[in-house]
Amino acid sequence: MACDGAWEIVQSATLLEVDDQSLVTLAVVSQDTAAYGELIRRHQSRVRNFLRKLAADPVEADDLSQEAFLHAWDKLQTYSGRGSFIGWLLKVAYTTFLQSKRKSKRYSEVLNEVGYVAEQQSGRYTQDADEVSDLDKLLAVLTEEERAIMVMSYACGLSHREIGDATGLPVGTVKSIIFRGKKKIRTNFDIKDHKHG
Amino acid sequence: MTSKIINMVEKLKDAEDRLLESMFAAEPIADGGFSKRIVTHIRRRIWVRRLALPVAMLVGGLIAFKPAMQLVTVSSTLLGVVPREFLEIPASVLPQVESVTFGVPLIPMIVLSAMVIVAGILGTRLLNE
Repeated sequence: MACDGAWEIVQSATLLEVDDQSLVTLAVVSQDTAAYGELIRRHQSRVRNFLRKLAADPVEADDLSQEAFLHAWDKLQTYSGRGSFIGWLLKVAYTTFLQSKRKSKRYSEVLNEVGYVAEQQSGRYTQDADEVSDLDKLLAVLTEEERAIMVMSYACGLSHREIGDATGLPVGTVKSIIFRGKKKIRTNFDIKDHKHG
Repeated sequence: MTSKIINMVEKLKDAEDRLLESMFAAEPIADGGFSKRIVTHIRRRIWVRRLALPVAMLVGGLIAFKPAMQLVTVSSTLLGVVPREFLEIPASVLPQVESVTFGVPLIPMIVLSAMVIVAGILGTRLLNE
């Protein structure tokens, strides 16, 4: 048992030096869960942060992140190595988010049909004004698509091409959505006077 | 060349972009057992998948055992109706010195075994796919 623990430490120390692409190959070819675990450790923060900005609450976002990483494991052989691994992961995370939204929309439609009225639509946007952060106010003026693309660009640092790959949109459309989002933020907030950090 | 120009243009960020980046920036989230939880979940799923095929074959075999035995009994009864000369194999075909006549239940057993083997191979291939 102690030997297993020691072996795991040696293995994870070795995996730390391996790049993403090789870890993916290891995980796909030999079903190496330790290699995939290292990939999760490296990217979980960005994926969770991305989903926390899209989903209603952090707990839901973390559940979605877990689901996204499980989907990613199932689809790992489809990662071609073209573009960054985090870009591909965010694509899976975004698809997972959209699927869960569709499911919950269908669920609320069924509830509405049977006469149930939801007491609270969304956790984030019904909070008291004091509790809402600057970023939440900023995100609230954007549509869901704009929010996802702006977060990918400004929080996750993806290039326009990577965002295009992740969302399935042409690069030109991505650029115009970012432009539109910036314009909305500019008109709603005087961001030049904003003192942040 | 074109992609290099696109990348350069993307890197030329103005003050507004930098401000947005600082506003969107978030504290890194500590792993806190998150990755371990997912890896454990995946390992469990792999074991379930590995066990699914042998368990399915065992259950299938148990379910199919009784009807298969009944099939053998019925076949041997039906073959008793077939004239004996159709079932006899001449001794010249076989390597043995003495003339051998196969009993009635042996042929259906061979046919059934062959059918079970073929079904097994096809079933395994289908499950693997």
